[in-house]
Amino acid sequence: MDALIDQLKGEIIEQLNLEDLKKEDIDADAPLFGEGLGLDSIDALELIVLLEKNYGIKIANPADGKKIFQSIRTMAEFVQANKK
Amino acid sequence: MEGFINGIGIISPQKTFGTDDFLSEVVEHNSKSLRCIEPSYKEFLNPVLARRMARIIKMGIAASNVCFKDAKVEIPDAIMTGTALGCLEDTEKFLLAIIENDEQFLTPTSFIQSTHNTVSAQIALQLKCMNYNFTYVHKGFSFESAVLDGLMTLAEGEAKNVLVGGHDEMTDKYYRVCDRIGYFKEETVPTMELINSKTNGSIAGEGAAFFVLSNAKSESTYAKLRGIKTIYKPKSNQEIESKITELLSSNGLTANDIDVVVYGINGDARFDKTYYHLKDNFFKNSTATYFKHLCGEYQTAGSFAFWVASKLIKTQSIPSAILIGDSRSRGFTSDGEQGLAIKNVLIYNTFLDSDHSVFLLSQC
Repeated sequence: MDALIDQLKGEIIEQLNLEDLKKEDIDADAPLFGEGLGLDSIDALELIVLLEKNYGIKIANPADGKKIFQSIRTMAEFVQANKK
Repeated sequence: MEGFINGIGIISPQKTFGTDDFLSEVVEHNSKSLRCIEPSYKEFLNPVLARRMARIIKMGIAASNVCFKDAKVEIPDAIMTGTALGCLEDTEKFLLAIIENDEQFLTPTSFIQSTHNTVSAQIALQLKCMNYNFTYVHKGFSFESAVLDGLMTLAEGEAKNVLVGGHDEMTDKYYRVCDRIGYFKEETVPTMELINSKTNGSIAGEGAAFFVLSNAKSESTYAKLRGIKTIYKPKSNQEIESKITELLSSNGLTANDIDVVVYGINGDARFDKTYYHLKDNFFKNSTATYFKHLCGEYQTAGSFAFWVASKLIKTQSIPSAILIGDSRSRGFTSDGEQGLAIKNVLIYNTFLDSDHSVFLLSQC
C-alpha cells in the first residue's frame, strides 16, 4: 500500500502540475479537495483520467467519486481493490 | 479616430519588462529562434492558478498587469487581443494526447486552455472584468485588428480605457514545422547582422505586448495613435504608397512630416525589398529604424513595433540598436542626441509580404 501511495503522489504532482510540492509534502490522509491540497473540479476530472489511463479503472458511478477522492489513501485503496 | 497610449506592458526577447529602459543594452540570443526573457510570475499570479497556465498565458497576465499599473487603470472598459497561434503549447499538448492515446484519456486542462481567447479570458478573470472581451485571430493582422477595434470603440464613445494587445508564443514543434516550409534561416545570424543578411527566411520570435488606449491624455501618456491601415497582398509599391498617403492625408500630414519610420525589416531576402523601396523613395527624408532583429519574426510582431514607436515619442531618443546605418537625414543620431523633435512616427510592417500594416503615432 505504501508503495502505491508513493506512486500516486508522484503521478498527481506531475498530472496536476503541483510544481512546488514534493511527495513528502503531501499527507496521504489529508483531504484532496477544499482543504489539504486544495484541488478543484478540473483537478477531479484530471484524477478520473489518471485512474483510467494509468490503472485501467473507470469510475462507473460518479457519486462514488466523493469517497474515492477523499484522500490519497482512499484513492490507493480504490486502486488496489479495482486494479485490472 | 484616435487614442492615447497611456500604459504599456511588454515581455519580449529583450529586457523590456517592468523597466523604463529603452534598449540601452541589446540581448544577443545567438539562436535562430528568440525566446522571451520572462519574469518571475509569483508576483502576478496565485501559484494555485498558475500551475495550470501555459507560458503564454502567464506572459499575457503579467504584461497586462504592468500595463494597467502604468496607465493607472484598474478595470478596462474593454479587452481586445490579437493572436495568430493562441495558446499553442496547450494546443500541441492536447493534439499530441489525442494521437498518442488513440483518442482516449483526454485531460481537460490543456483542452480548456488551448483556445485562442484564453489569454484575454484569463486577464478578465483575474480582474473580475465582465466587459467586452474579444480576441482577433487573423494571422499577420491579429494585433492590428485588436487595435482597430480599440480605436473604433473609443471613437464610438463606448469606452474610456481599453486594453489592446498582441501575443504569440514559439514552441519547438511549431519552429520545426515553419522551418521546413522556409520561414526561417538555415544559418544562425548575429542580432545586429540580421539586417545585412542576404539569404531567405528570418529568425523566429515571440512576445506579449499590451497597451491601454484611452480617450484622454494622462500623465503617463506615451503618444497618440492617429490611425491604422492594413493592406492585404498589395499588388505594387504604388498601391502601398497610395494607402500610406491616404492615412497621412486623413491626418493632415505628408511623408515629409514623418520624423521616424519603424520598419519590419527581418533579413529575409525575399521580402525586405518593400521596406527598402519605401525607405529610399517614399520616406527618404525620414529617419529609418527597424526592430525584428530584437524580437524575431512572428505574426503579432507589430505589437513590439508599437512599443518601439511609443517609446521613441515618449523618450524623444533613438537607441542605436534600432537605427539603420545611414539614417542621419533629419539630424537624429542615436541614444538621446537629436536635432529635431520626434513628432510623428510611422510603423510599416509586413508578415511574409502578405499582411501589410501601417500605424501612425504622434506626439501629444
